[in-house]
Amino acid sequence: MLLLALMTSTQDIIRRRAQIISTFKEELIRRLNLPLTAQDIHEDVSLLGSGLGLDSLDALEIILCAEGCFKVKFPEDSMAHLRSINTIVDFVIAEQDKQGGQP
Amino acid sequence: MRTSPLRGKFAALGAAFNEQHGREIVTRVADRAAEYAAVRDAVGLTDFSFVQTFRVPEAKGMDFLDSLLAGNVPRIRFGRVLHTFLADEDGMLVGDCYVANNDQEFLFLCESIVPDQEILRVLQGCGMQEAGVEDMAGSYVLLGLDGPRAWEVVKEVFGADVLGLPYLSVEVYPFEGQSVYLFRAGKTGEFGYLLLAPVTVAEALFNKLHDLAQKSGGRCCGFEIHQDLRLEGRFFNIHAEGRRVRDPLVLGLQWMVDFDKENFRGAGAIKQRRADGGKQKIIGVAAAPGSRDLARDAKIFDQGQPVAEVVTDCFSYVLDRQIGLAVFPVELAYAGLTFQLGAPGGPPVNTISMPPIMPKSLKVKLDEV
Repeated sequence: MLLLALMTSTQDIIRRRAQIISTFKEELIRRLNLPLTAQDIHEDVSLLGSGLGLDSLDALEIILCAEGCFKVKFPEDSMAHLRSINTIVDFVIAEQDKQGGQP
Repeated sequence: MRTSPLRGKFAALGAAFNEQHGREIVTRVADRAAEYAAVRDAVGLTDFSFVQTFRVPEAKGMDFLDSLLAGNVPRIRFGRVLHTFLADEDGMLVGDCYVANNDQEFLFLCESIVPDQEILRVLQGCGMQEAGVEDMAGSYVLLGLDGPRAWEVVKEVFGADVLGLPYLSVEVYPFEGQSVYLFRAGKTGEFGYLLLAPVTVAEALFNKLHDLAQKSGGRCCGFEIHQDLRLEGRFFNIHAEGRRVRDPLVLGLQWMVDFDKENFRGAGAIKQRRADGGKQKIIGVAAAPGSRDLARDAKIFDQGQPVAEVVTDCFSYVLDRQIGLAVFPVELAYAGLTFQLGAPGGPPVNTISMPPIMPKSLKVKLDEV
Protein backbone atom coordinates (compact mmCIF):
# COMPACT_ATOMS: atom_id res chain seq x y z
CA MET A 1 0.00 0.00 0.00
CA LEU A 2 2.80 2.40 0.97
CA LEU A 3 4.66 1.64 -2.25
CA LEU A 4 1.51 2.30 -4.24
CA ALA A 5 1.02 5.59 -2.40
CA LEU A 6 4.61 6.63 -3.12
CA MET A 7 4.23 5.70 -6.79
CA THR A 8 1.06 7.74 -7.04
CA SER A 9 2.78 10.62 -5.32
CA THR A 10 5.70 10.57 -7.79
CA GLN A 11 3.35 10.43 -10.75
CA ASP A 12 1.26 13.24 -9.27
CA ILE A 13 4.33 15.41 -8.85
CA ILE A 14 5.38 14.72 -12.43
CA ARG A 15 1.89 15.38 -13.81
CA ARG A 16 1.48 18.65 -11.96
CA ARG A 17 4.93 19.92 -12.83
CA ALA A 18 4.68 18.83 -16.48
CA GLN A 19 1.40 20.68 -16.86
CA ILE A 20 2.76 23.93 -15.42
CA ILE A 21 5.91 23.68 -17.53
CA SER A 22 3.97 23.01 -20.71
CA THR A 23 1.53 25.89 -20.15
CA PHE A 24 4.31 28.30 -19.28
CA LYS A 25 6.60 27.36 -22.17
CA GLU A 26 3.85 27.63 -24.78
CA GLU A 27 2.83 31.05 -23.48
CA LEU A 28 6.44 32.23 -23.24
CA ILE A 29 7.18 31.18 -26.82
CA ARG A 30 4.05 32.98 -28.01
CA ARG A 31 4.64 36.20 -26.05
CA LEU A 32 8.35 36.51 -26.80
CA ASN A 33 8.15 35.05 -30.30
CA LEU A 34 10.97 32.61 -29.52
CA PRO A 35 12.30 30.62 -32.49
CA LEU A 36 12.15 27.34 -30.54
CA THR A 37 9.61 24.63 -29.77
CA ALA A 38 8.62 23.77 -26.19
CA GLN A 39 10.69 20.58 -26.46
CA ASP A 40 13.73 22.66 -27.43
CA ILE A 41 13.68 24.67 -24.20
CA HIS A 42 15.33 22.85 -21.33
CA GLU A 43 13.73 23.80 -18.03
CA ASP A 44 17.11 24.63 -16.48
CA VAL A 45 18.32 26.88 -19.27
CA SER A 46 19.13 30.39 -18.11
CA LEU A 47 16.39 32.83 -19.10
CA LEU A 48 18.34 36.07 -18.83
CA GLY A 49 21.81 36.81 -20.20
CA SER A 50 23.18 33.47 -21.35
CA GLY A 51 20.83 30.70 -22.49
CA LEU A 52 17.71 32.17 -24.03
CA GLY A 53 19.46 35.53 -23.96
CA LEU A 54 16.47 37.56 -22.83
CA ASP A 55 16.91 41.09 -21.49
CA SER A 56 15.42 43.13 -18.65
CA LEU A 57 12.35 44.09 -20.73
CA ASP A 58 11.75 40.42 -21.42
CA ALA A 59 12.07 39.76 -17.67
CA LEU A 60 8.96 41.86 -17.11
CA GLU A 61 7.16 39.90 -19.83
CA ILE A 62 8.21 36.61 -18.18
CA ILE A 63 6.73 37.75 -14.86
CA LEU A 64 3.49 38.91 -16.52
CA CYS A 65 3.36 35.61 -18.41
CA ALA A 66 3.67 33.51 -15.25
CA GLU A 67 1.29 35.74 -13.27
CA GLY A 68 -1.27 35.57 -16.07
CA CYS A 69 -1.01 31.82 -16.53
CA PHE A 70 -1.09 30.79 -12.89
CA LYS A 71 -2.78 33.63 -10.98
CA VAL A 72 0.20 34.18 -8.71
CA LYS A 73 1.95 37.43 -7.75
CA PHE A 74 5.73 37.74 -7.96
CA PRO A 75 7.48 39.86 -5.32
CA GLU A 76 9.09 43.14 -6.37
CA ASP A 77 12.61 41.68 -6.39
CA SER A 78 12.00 38.48 -8.35
CA MET A 79 15.51 37.92 -9.68
CA ALA A 80 15.99 34.75 -7.65
CA HIS A 81 12.92 33.18 -9.25
CA LEU A 82 13.80 34.22 -12.80
CA ARG A 83 16.97 32.16 -13.11
CA SER A 84 15.32 29.40 -15.16
CA ILE A 85 11.92 27.94 -16.03
CA ASN A 86 12.38 25.41 -13.24
CA THR A 87 12.94 28.11 -10.61
CA ILE A 88 9.82 29.92 -11.84
CA VAL A 89 7.85 26.68 -11.65
CA ASP A 90 9.12 26.12 -8.09
CA PHE A 91 7.77 29.55 -7.15
CA VAL A 92 4.41 28.92 -8.86
CA ILE A 93 3.99 25.56 -7.08
CA ALA A 94 4.90 27.10 -3.71
CA GLU A 95 2.43 29.95 -4.24
CA GLN A 96 -0.34 27.61 -5.37
CA ASP A 97 0.24 25.45 -2.29
CA LYS A 98 0.03 28.55 -0.08
CA GLN A 99 -3.29 29.42 -1.74
CA GLY A 100 -4.62 25.98 -0.86
CA GLY A 101 -3.60 23.66 -3.64
CA GLN A 102 -3.70 23.48 -7.41
CA PRO A 103 -6.04 25.80 -9.34
CA MET B 1 52.54 20.41 -25.48
CA ARG B 2 51.19 23.97 -25.74
CA THR B 3 51.94 25.97 -22.62
CA SER B 4 50.69 29.37 -21.54
CA PRO B 5 52.97 32.39 -22.01
CA LEU B 6 52.11 33.10 -18.35
CA ARG B 7 53.26 29.69 -17.10
CA GLY B 8 56.16 31.21 -15.15
CA LYS B 9 53.90 33.64 -13.35
CA PHE B 10 51.55 30.91 -12.16
CA ALA B 11 54.43 28.52 -11.35
CA ALA B 12 55.91 31.23 -9.10
CA LEU B 13 52.64 31.26 -7.17
CA GLY B 14 52.93 27.51 -6.58
CA ALA B 15 50.35 26.50 -9.17
CA ALA B 16 49.70 22.88 -10.14
CA PHE B 17 49.50 22.03 -13.84
CA ASN B 18 47.90 19.29 -15.85
CA GLU B 19 47.92 18.27 -19.50
CA GLN B 20 44.74 17.86 -21.50
CA HIS B 21 44.77 17.07 -25.22
CA GLY B 22 48.23 18.50 -25.66
CA ARG B 23 47.53 21.68 -23.73
CA GLU B 24 48.89 22.55 -20.32
CA ILE B 25 46.27 23.89 -17.92
CA VAL B 26 46.74 25.64 -14.58
CA THR B 27 44.58 23.36 -12.49
CA ARG B 28 45.03 24.83 -9.03
CA VAL B 29 46.82 27.73 -7.35
CA ALA B 30 45.47 27.58 -3.79
CA ASP B 31 43.28 25.12 -1.91
CA ARG B 32 39.80 24.53 -3.28
CA ALA B 33 37.91 26.41 -0.56
CA ALA B 34 40.09 29.51 -0.97
CA GLU B 35 39.66 29.59 -4.75
CA TYR B 36 35.92 28.98 -4.43
CA ALA B 37 35.59 31.82 -1.90
CA ALA B 38 37.60 34.14 -4.15
CA VAL B 39 35.14 33.73 -7.03
CA ARG B 40 31.91 33.58 -5.02
CA ASP B 41 32.82 36.44 -2.63
CA ALA B 42 35.42 38.63 -4.37
CA VAL B 43 37.30 37.97 -7.63
CA GLY B 44 39.31 35.11 -9.11
CA LEU B 45 42.00 35.60 -11.76
CA THR B 46 42.40 32.56 -14.00
CA ASP B 47 44.57 31.70 -17.00
CA PHE B 48 42.34 30.48 -19.85
CA SER B 49 45.13 30.57 -22.45
CA PHE B 50 44.50 26.87 -23.16
CA VAL B 51 41.37 27.96 -25.06
CA GLN B 52 42.03 28.15 -28.82
CA THR B 53 41.62 31.65 -30.20
CA PHE B 54 41.32 32.81 -33.80
CA ARG B 55 40.90 36.12 -35.60
CA VAL B 56 38.61 35.86 -38.61
CA PRO B 57 38.23 38.73 -41.13
CA GLU B 58 34.57 39.61 -41.46
CA ALA B 59 34.36 39.79 -45.26
CA LYS B 60 35.62 36.27 -45.93
CA GLY B 61 35.13 34.76 -42.53
CA MET B 62 31.42 35.12 -41.88
CA ASP B 63 30.36 32.28 -44.17
CA PHE B 64 33.27 30.18 -42.95
CA LEU B 65 32.19 30.45 -39.31
CA ASP B 66 28.52 30.12 -40.16
CA SER B 67 29.08 26.87 -42.05
CA LEU B 68 31.05 25.52 -39.11
CA LEU B 69 29.05 26.46 -36.02
CA ALA B 70 25.51 25.64 -34.84
CA GLY B 71 24.58 29.25 -34.06
CA ASN B 72 23.75 32.02 -36.52
CA VAL B 73 26.95 34.01 -37.08
CA PRO B 74 25.61 36.66 -39.53
CA ARG B 75 23.04 37.69 -36.91
CA ILE B 76 25.68 38.62 -34.31
CA ARG B 77 25.37 42.35 -33.85
CA PHE B 78 28.45 44.55 -33.70
CA GLY B 79 30.04 44.36 -30.27
CA ARG B 80 28.12 41.26 -29.24
CA VAL B 81 29.18 37.68 -28.56
CA LEU B 82 27.43 34.49 -29.63
CA HIS B 83 27.68 31.41 -27.41
CA THR B 84 27.41 28.30 -29.55
CA PHE B 85 29.15 24.98 -30.24
CA LEU B 86 31.18 23.08 -32.78
CA ALA B 87 30.04 19.53 -33.50
CA ASP B 88 31.51 16.66 -35.47
CA GLU B 89 29.81 15.16 -38.54
CA ASP B 90 27.73 12.92 -36.24
CA GLY B 91 26.39 15.97 -34.46
CA MET B 92 28.34 15.24 -31.28
CA LEU B 93 30.05 18.04 -29.37
CA VAL B 94 33.66 18.94 -30.06
CA GLY B 95 33.96 22.52 -28.85
CA ASP B 96 32.17 25.10 -26.70
CA CYS B 97 32.56 28.38 -28.57
CA TYR B 98 32.26 32.14 -28.30
CA VAL B 99 32.15 34.20 -31.50
CA ALA B 100 32.53 37.96 -31.09
CA ASN B 101 31.66 40.50 -33.77
CA ASN B 102 34.28 43.23 -33.56
CA ASP B 103 33.41 45.33 -36.62
CA GLN B 104 35.77 44.19 -39.41
CA GLU B 105 36.66 40.93 -37.71
CA PHE B 106 35.28 38.07 -35.71
CA LEU B 107 37.07 36.63 -32.71
CA PHE B 108 36.51 32.91 -32.36
CA LEU B 109 37.23 31.26 -28.99
CA CYS B 110 36.99 27.48 -28.86
CA GLU B 111 37.21 25.40 -25.69
CA SER B 112 37.48 21.87 -27.03
CA ILE B 113 37.82 18.25 -25.97
CA VAL B 114 40.18 17.33 -28.79
CA PRO B 115 43.81 18.36 -29.50
CA ASP B 116 44.57 21.73 -31.16
CA GLN B 117 45.68 19.91 -34.32
CA GLU B 118 42.30 18.25 -34.71
CA ILE B 119 40.46 21.58 -34.49
CA LEU B 120 42.89 23.04 -36.99
CA ARG B 121 42.29 20.09 -39.31
CA VAL B 122 38.53 20.73 -39.13
CA LEU B 123 38.99 24.46 -39.78
CA GLN B 124 41.35 23.79 -42.68
CA GLY B 125 38.84 21.36 -44.16
CA CYS B 126 36.21 24.12 -44.06
CA GLY B 127 38.41 26.70 -45.83
CA MET B 128 40.39 28.28 -43.00
CA GLN B 129 43.14 29.56 -45.32
CA GLU B 130 40.79 30.98 -47.94
CA ALA B 131 38.87 32.77 -45.18
CA GLY B 132 42.09 34.36 -43.90
CA VAL B 133 41.77 32.91 -40.40
CA GLU B 134 44.64 33.76 -38.04
CA ASP B 135 45.50 31.36 -35.22
CA MET B 136 46.25 33.55 -32.18
CA ALA B 137 47.76 30.73 -30.10
CA GLY B 138 51.13 31.72 -28.70
CA SER B 139 50.77 35.39 -29.61
CA TYR B 140 47.88 36.15 -27.22
CA VAL B 141 46.93 35.18 -23.68
CA LEU B 142 43.39 34.76 -22.38
CA LEU B 143 42.81 35.76 -18.76
CA GLY B 144 39.55 35.44 -16.86
CA LEU B 145 38.24 37.60 -14.01
CA ASP B 146 35.18 36.23 -12.23
CA GLY B 147 33.39 37.25 -9.07
CA PRO B 148 31.04 39.82 -7.57
CA ARG B 149 33.96 42.28 -7.41
CA ALA B 150 35.45 41.50 -10.84
CA TRP B 151 34.00 44.74 -12.17
CA GLU B 152 36.16 46.74 -9.73
CA VAL B 153 39.32 45.32 -11.29
CA VAL B 154 38.39 45.91 -14.94
CA LYS B 155 37.07 49.37 -14.10
CA GLU B 156 40.40 50.28 -12.51
CA VAL B 157 42.32 49.07 -15.58
CA PHE B 158 40.10 50.28 -18.43
CA GLY B 159 37.81 52.93 -16.92
CA ALA B 160 34.19 53.24 -15.81
CA ASP B 161 33.03 52.64 -19.39
CA VAL B 162 33.33 48.86 -18.79
CA LEU B 163 30.42 48.96 -16.36
CA GLY B 164 28.05 49.56 -19.27
CA LEU B 165 29.04 46.38 -21.11
CA PRO B 166 26.14 43.93 -21.29
CA TYR B 167 26.65 40.20 -20.78
CA LEU B 168 28.05 38.57 -23.95
CA SER B 169 29.63 41.65 -25.45
CA VAL B 170 33.14 42.65 -26.53
CA GLU B 171 35.05 45.92 -26.54
CA VAL B 172 38.65 46.90 -27.30
CA TYR B 173 40.68 48.89 -24.77
CA PRO B 174 44.24 50.20 -24.90
CA PHE B 175 46.79 48.83 -22.45
CA GLU B 176 50.42 49.95 -22.58
CA GLY B 177 50.12 50.83 -26.26
CA GLN B 178 48.47 47.56 -27.25
CA SER B 179 44.84 46.63 -27.90
CA VAL B 180 43.20 44.28 -25.41
CA TYR B 181 39.89 42.62 -26.23
CA LEU B 182 37.60 42.64 -23.22
CA PHE B 183 34.76 40.13 -23.31
CA ARG B 184 31.93 40.44 -20.83
CA ALA B 185 31.41 36.71 -20.50
CA GLY B 186 31.85 34.01 -17.94
CA LYS B 187 30.47 30.71 -16.76
CA THR B 188 30.20 31.02 -13.00
CA GLY B 189 27.02 33.08 -12.52
CA GLU B 190 29.12 35.94 -11.11
CA PHE B 191 30.39 38.96 -13.06
CA GLY B 192 32.79 37.56 -15.62
CA TYR B 193 35.32 39.06 -18.00
CA LEU B 194 37.77 37.51 -20.45
CA LEU B 195 40.78 39.55 -21.49
CA LEU B 196 42.45 38.58 -24.76
CA ALA B 197 45.80 40.37 -24.74
CA PRO B 198 48.92 40.34 -26.93
CA VAL B 199 51.71 38.33 -25.36
CA THR B 200 53.95 41.45 -25.40
CA VAL B 201 51.87 42.98 -22.59
CA ALA B 202 50.74 39.72 -20.97
CA GLU B 203 53.01 39.88 -17.94
CA ALA B 204 52.33 43.56 -17.29
CA LEU B 205 48.59 42.97 -17.57
CA PHE B 206 48.75 39.91 -15.33
CA ASN B 207 50.73 41.84 -12.69
CA LYS B 208 48.23 44.67 -12.70
CA LEU B 209 45.19 42.38 -12.56
CA HIS B 210 46.73 40.24 -9.84
CA ASP B 211 47.57 43.27 -7.73
CA LEU B 212 44.08 44.74 -8.12
CA ALA B 213 42.37 41.38 -7.55
CA GLN B 214 44.24 41.00 -4.26
CA LYS B 215 43.21 44.52 -3.23
CA SER B 216 39.59 43.48 -3.89
CA GLY B 217 39.99 40.43 -1.65
CA GLY B 218 40.58 38.01 -4.53
CA ARG B 219 43.35 35.76 -5.74
CA CYS B 220 44.63 33.66 -8.63
CA CYS B 221 42.68 30.48 -9.32
CA GLY B 222 43.17 27.33 -11.33
CA PHE B 223 40.75 25.94 -13.89
CA GLU B 224 39.66 23.05 -11.67
CA ILE B 225 37.51 25.26 -9.45
CA HIS B 226 35.75 26.61 -12.55
CA GLN B 227 34.49 23.11 -13.28
CA ASP B 228 32.66 23.19 -9.94
CA LEU B 229 31.53 26.80 -10.36
CA ARG B 230 30.10 26.02 -13.79
CA LEU B 231 28.06 23.16 -12.38
CA GLU B 232 26.83 25.19 -9.43
CA GLY B 233 25.85 28.05 -11.77
CA ARG B 234 24.42 25.52 -14.28
CA PHE B 235 26.65 26.68 -17.07
CA PHE B 236 27.48 24.11 -19.69
CA ASN B 237 30.90 22.51 -19.14
CA ILE B 238 32.31 20.75 -22.16
CA HIS B 239 35.04 19.16 -20.02
CA ALA B 240 32.52 17.47 -17.70
CA GLU B 241 28.99 16.66 -18.90
CA GLY B 242 29.93 17.74 -22.43
CA ARG B 243 32.73 15.22 -22.76
CA ARG B 244 30.66 12.50 -21.12
CA VAL B 245 27.32 12.92 -22.93
CA ARG B 246 28.34 14.75 -26.13
CA ASP B 247 24.81 14.90 -27.58
CA PRO B 248 23.79 18.61 -27.49
CA LEU B 249 20.09 17.70 -27.41
CA VAL B 250 20.40 15.50 -24.32
CA LEU B 251 22.44 18.30 -22.74
CA GLY B 252 19.69 20.86 -23.39
CA LEU B 253 21.84 23.02 -25.68
CA GLN B 254 19.13 23.62 -28.29
CA TRP B 255 19.35 27.33 -27.44
CA MET B 256 22.82 27.36 -29.03
CA VAL B 257 21.46 26.10 -32.36
CA ASP B 258 19.76 27.95 -35.19
CA PHE B 259 17.55 25.14 -36.51
CA ASP B 260 16.53 27.30 -39.49
CA LYS B 261 20.09 27.24 -40.80
CA GLU B 262 20.37 24.81 -43.68
CA ASN B 263 23.83 23.65 -42.88
CA PHE B 264 26.46 23.58 -40.22
CA ARG B 265 28.82 20.87 -39.09
CA GLY B 266 26.74 17.96 -37.80
CA ALA B 267 23.44 19.64 -38.77
CA GLY B 268 21.96 16.57 -40.47
CA ALA B 269 22.51 14.28 -37.50
CA ILE B 270 21.33 16.84 -34.94
CA LYS B 271 18.17 17.68 -36.90
CA GLN B 272 17.40 13.98 -37.39
CA ARG B 273 17.70 13.27 -33.65
CA ARG B 274 15.53 16.30 -32.94
CA ALA B 275 12.88 15.04 -35.36
CA ASP B 276 13.02 11.57 -33.76
CA GLY B 277 12.26 13.11 -30.34
CA GLY B 278 14.47 13.08 -27.27
CA LYS B 279 14.56 10.03 -25.04
CA GLN B 280 17.01 11.31 -22.44
CA LYS B 281 17.57 14.58 -20.66
CA ILE B 282 20.17 15.92 -18.26
CA ILE B 283 18.90 17.40 -14.97
CA GLY B 284 20.25 18.50 -11.62
CA VAL B 285 20.51 16.21 -8.61
CA ALA B 286 21.46 16.77 -4.97
CA ALA B 287 22.40 14.40 -2.18
CA ALA B 288 21.38 14.75 1.44
CA PRO B 289 23.68 16.99 3.53
CA GLY B 290 26.69 15.02 4.72
CA SER B 291 26.35 12.32 2.06
CA ARG B 292 29.34 11.77 -0.20
CA ASP B 293 27.72 9.05 -2.33
CA LEU B 294 26.73 11.32 -5.20
CA ALA B 295 29.63 11.00 -7.60
CA ARG B 296 30.22 10.66 -11.32
CA ASP B 297 29.19 7.25 -12.73
CA ALA B 298 26.88 6.51 -9.78
CA LYS B 299 23.63 4.86 -10.84
CA ILE B 300 20.26 6.22 -9.72
CA PHE B 301 17.49 3.75 -8.97
CA ASP B 302 13.70 3.97 -9.09
CA GLN B 303 11.59 1.10 -7.75
CA GLY B 304 14.58 -1.22 -7.77
CA GLN B 305 15.60 -0.45 -11.36
CA PRO B 306 18.52 1.71 -12.55
CA VAL B 307 17.03 4.70 -14.38
CA ALA B 308 19.76 7.31 -14.53
CA GLU B 309 23.47 7.93 -14.18
CA VAL B 310 25.40 10.80 -12.64
CA VAL B 311 27.68 12.41 -15.25
CA THR B 312 29.32 15.15 -13.18
CA ASP B 313 29.38 16.22 -9.54
CA CYS B 314 30.87 18.70 -7.11
CA PHE B 315 30.53 19.87 -3.53
CA SER B 316 28.59 23.12 -3.24
CA TYR B 317 29.80 25.22 -0.32
CA VAL B 318 26.73 27.44 -0.66
CA LEU B 319 24.31 24.49 -0.40
CA ASP B 320 26.59 22.47 1.90
CA ARG B 321 25.95 19.29 -0.04
CA GLN B 322 27.05 17.28 -3.05
CA ILE B 323 25.29 18.24 -6.28
CA GLY B 324 25.51 16.90 -9.81
CA LEU B 325 23.94 16.38 -13.19
CA ALA B 326 22.42 13.07 -14.22
CA VAL B 327 20.96 11.77 -17.47
CA PHE B 328 17.36 10.58 -16.98
CA PRO B 329 14.73 9.21 -19.34
CA VAL B 330 12.58 12.22 -20.33
CA GLU B 331 9.50 10.86 -18.54
CA LEU B 332 11.34 11.05 -15.19
CA ALA B 333 13.38 14.20 -15.88
CA TYR B 334 11.56 16.54 -13.49
CA ALA B 335 12.74 18.47 -10.45
CA GLY B 336 11.21 17.62 -7.10
CA LEU B 337 11.47 13.81 -7.20
CA THR B 338 13.31 11.44 -4.89
CA PHE B 339 15.22 8.38 -6.06
CA GLN B 340 17.80 6.04 -4.56
CA LEU B 341 21.50 6.43 -5.12
CA GLY B 342 23.94 3.63 -5.91
CA ALA B 343 21.61 0.68 -5.31
CA PRO B 344 17.95 -0.19 -4.74
CA GLY B 345 17.23 1.05 -1.23
CA GLY B 346 20.32 3.28 -1.31
CA PRO B 347 20.49 6.78 0.19
CA PRO B 348 18.03 9.32 -1.22
CA VAL B 349 18.94 11.60 -4.10
CA ASN B 350 16.66 14.44 -5.16
CA THR B 351 16.19 15.94 -8.58
CA ILE B 352 16.50 19.71 -8.27
CA SER B 353 15.87 22.92 -10.19
CA MET B 354 19.02 24.48 -11.57
CA PRO B 355 20.82 26.73 -11.02
CA PRO B 356 20.48 25.91 -7.31
CA ILE B 357 22.23 29.03 -6.00
CA MET B 358 21.67 32.76 -6.21
CA PRO B 359 25.04 34.33 -7.14
CA LYS B 360 26.02 37.44 -5.18
CA SER B 361 26.63 39.31 -8.45
CA LEU B 362 22.91 39.23 -9.25
CA LYS B 363 22.34 41.49 -6.25
CA VAL B 364 24.91 44.07 -7.42
CA LYS B 365 23.49 46.85 -9.56
CA LEU B 366 26.36 48.18 -11.66
CA ASP B 367 24.40 51.27 -12.71
CA GLU B 368 24.22 52.28 -9.06
CA VAL B 369 27.86 51.74 -8.02
